[in-house]
Amino acid sequence: MDKALQFVSIPPDLWTLIFTWANLLILFLLVKKLLFKPIMNIIKQREDEVGKMYEDAQTASDHAKAMETEYTEKLANAKTQAESIVADAVQNAQARADQIVSDSQAQAASMIEGAQARIAREQKAAVEEAKGEICSMAVLMASKVIEKDLDAAAQSALIEKCMDEMGDTL
Amino acid sequence: MNISVSGPKILFEWGSFHITETVVNGWIIMAVIVLLCIWLTHGLKLRNPSKKQIVAEKLVMMATNMVRDTMGEKYIGFAPYIGTLFAFSVLGSLSSLLGMRPMTGDLNTTLGWALVTFVLVQGNNIRINGLGGWLKSFVQPVAVMLPMNIIGEIANPISMAFRHFGNIASGIVISTLIYSALGALSSTILSFIPVEFINSIPILQVGLPAMLSIYFDLFTGFLQAYIFCMLTMSFVSGVE
Amino acid sequence: MERAIILAASAIGAGLAMIAGIGPGIGQGYAAGKGAEAVGRQPEAKGDIMSTMLLGCAVAESTGIYGLVVAMILLFANPLINLL
Repeated sequence: MDKALQFVSIPPDLWTLIFTWANLLILFLLVKKLLFKPIMNIIKQREDEVGKMYEDAQTASDHAKAMETEYTEKLANAKTQAESIVADAVQNAQARADQIVSDSQAQAASMIEGAQARIAREQKAAVEEAKGEICSMAVLMASKVIEKDLDAAAQSALIEKCMDEMGDTL
Repeated sequence: MNISVSGPKILFEWGSFHITETVVNGWIIMAVIVLLCIWLTHGLKLRNPSKKQIVAEKLVMMATNMVRDTMGEKYIGFAPYIGTLFAFSVLGSLSSLLGMRPMTGDLNTTLGWALVTFVLVQGNNIRINGLGGWLKSFVQPVAVMLPMNIIGEIANPISMAFRHFGNIASGIVISTLIYSALGALSSTILSFIPVEFINSIPILQVGLPAMLSIYFDLFTGFLQAYIFCMLTMSFVSGVE
Repeated sequence: MERAIILAASAIGAGLAMIAGIGPGIGQGYAAGKGAEAVGRQPEAKGDIMSTMLLGCAVAESTGIYGLVVAMILLFANPLINLL
């Protein structure tokens, strides 16, 4: 049979005790270095990263909010601008329409005036012509009636008189 | 029939120096634990951790959380020691499933660990209360209590050592007894076969002891490791 | 002759030492009963109750284990035989 320690080793075996302590110490150092350090390291890194991501998300959200307000403002500005543009255009168009209307009215008025003037002139001319014709006809009729030559001066005085009488009637 | 339950064998001897089975088994378990650590922490990634990394992180967090819950935040540095102790103790007890002599079934191992706890407790006491305070704590509340206090302090590691050792050793004794009883039983059953070779085959020794050792080794091994770590933690952090 | 007496006395002593097993048996049974009561009253806390009970049982087992160790010392590592 091999040599063996007692089943319940009392008193304790010194060498085994020393080896137990050495083993425990070495294993403790190795486990700490090989397992706990890298794992705690990576957990810490992950926590840092999550914190950073959270921060980034926060700043991004803030940024987005700022952008939103900016755009809302811009949109509102654009709206008012568009409204003012439309209002200007309407005003311009109105003014232009008014002008066109007034122009055309003026033109029409002047045309009417011109037409009336022309009508009057023509009427006058016609009256003059009619007067002349009537005069010559009257002269002719008179000369035929009286069969008497009048001198030119008396004739024209007579014509004038006749004319005036006619003109008054006309 | 001769049943013998022996202590750890002496594998190497040189003068008074000797290395026992316990120590060699301890080295094997240490190698297993260290290789496991290296394998688990190989290729750690910050994102999309692999399954083994999740397991490793879970183990570390379990040890850390246990220490934090039991000892508080200021003793969090004890987590690697407690984790090491737990793993060493569990694997040391479970090694009997592979036919090795359980490391914790040797009083020297558990006594060594219990003495480490004792030193940690007294060291923590000195660190907190100072040398004078530590010495004074032995004559509290009255000077007559001095021997009682000393015995009380010394009883802790001895009780821890014997508790762990006794549980595992009783497992060894019971396994040995059942093993030899099954051997005797199977040779009785097979004795109607006149051939010497066949009726010496211990058929009942196959499988059946393994079932029993699942209770005696697995359950007891885990429970005692847990209790040893728990007591270490509460003794160390219980110093006022 | 003296050796035989010592061996016989050791065997008897080991048997007597194992009477210590009664205490933990009663204690653990009581603890387990209380544990069952607690689980019945508060089934959601089963895990906590279980671990606390196991811890308490294992600590209560100490005295029985001491008896066992004494018995094992008497049987396997008898210190008395060397006193002859």
